[in-house]
Amino acid sequence: MKLWILFITSLLVSLTVQAAPMGFKDSWMTMGDFSKTFREATTNYALTPRDAIGLTSTYMQTDNQSQRQMNNELTYTRLLKRWNMPDAQANIWFIGGIGETRGNFFNGAKATLSPGMQADYETTRLYASANARIYVADGITNNIVSARTGFSFYEANYDETQPWIIVEARRMSMVSNAYEVTPMLRLIHNRFFVEAGANLDGQPRLSFMYVY
Amino acid sequence: MKKIFIATLLVISLTPAFAVTSMKATVNGMVCAFCAQGIEKRISKMPATKAVYVDLKKKTVVVEPKEGMSLDQKAIMEEVKDAGYDIVKVESVPKSVAEIKAELVVDK
Repeated sequence: MKLWILFITSLLVSLTVQAAPMGFKDSWMTMGDFSKTFREATTNYALTPRDAIGLTSTYMQTDNQSQRQMNNELTYTRLLKRWNMPDAQANIWFIGGIGETRGNFFNGAKATLSPGMQADYETTRLYASANARIYVADGITNNIVSARTGFSFYEANYDETQPWIIVEARRMSMVSNAYEVTPMLRLIHNRFFVEAGANLDGQPRLSFMYVY
Repeated sequence: MKKIFIATLLVISLTPAFAVTSMKATVNGMVCAFCAQGIEKRISKMPATKAVYVDLKKKTVVVEPKEGMSLDQKAIMEEVKDAGYDIVKVESVPKSVAEIKAELVVDK
């Protein structure tokens, strides 16, 4: 029974998809990011073109599952700066959370904070981003840094599906000091954004975004 | 007389009852369909909007008004801005969205 609860919770709980982490003004966005060691789910609402609030659950565990930690947070996303160019767009984002964390290597729940930053640059054919976030609680500090780059096979129009190849390097201090490299296939179609791949150890990874 | 009557009817039937003038905007930063959803969704909700067309390759947004209504150009520009983009050029084009879409597709 506990395994089922953990499985369902971990499916519901997952995320840090690195495209724009919020939608347009007055829109909702639901995002999920699922892998063996990191699962996150977020739903946020864009109050303004630059500000969104939401709820995020994050589950992290070591490869051997000896340490597990789950955060439930109220999150705030802020578009700090955007550059709209004729053939490109670049952004700097602040993403922060406040809430509680629980884990199997400490007792009870602790208050947690998780400030982070993201920078991205995208054309119709190229994509690059960098992301850093720190999860802090009393006596616990985890950080996640990642970088992504990729290209699209072709320039797609608004109503066409666009496939991309994306490679991510990610280091999660709770899991390992080594970088996890994950190639992924990204598909964008209208309001759907899906990525699927596997890291070099063969562990699958799935992420998605949906705006509505 | 009969021929003149038929010719007149034909001319009337081929003349559009309503001359469409669409708004065509060139937009900077519009590189991804997922991120540009807001433009279509927000402008489609405006009361005078009949059709919206977004063309990522041409960086163009075209808005056609409903018959007998006129577009609020300022409000549309504000909606594009709220969707996260910058309008760099606006034109009034005496064509429908379907006609402009057909032209842009041919140009590709």
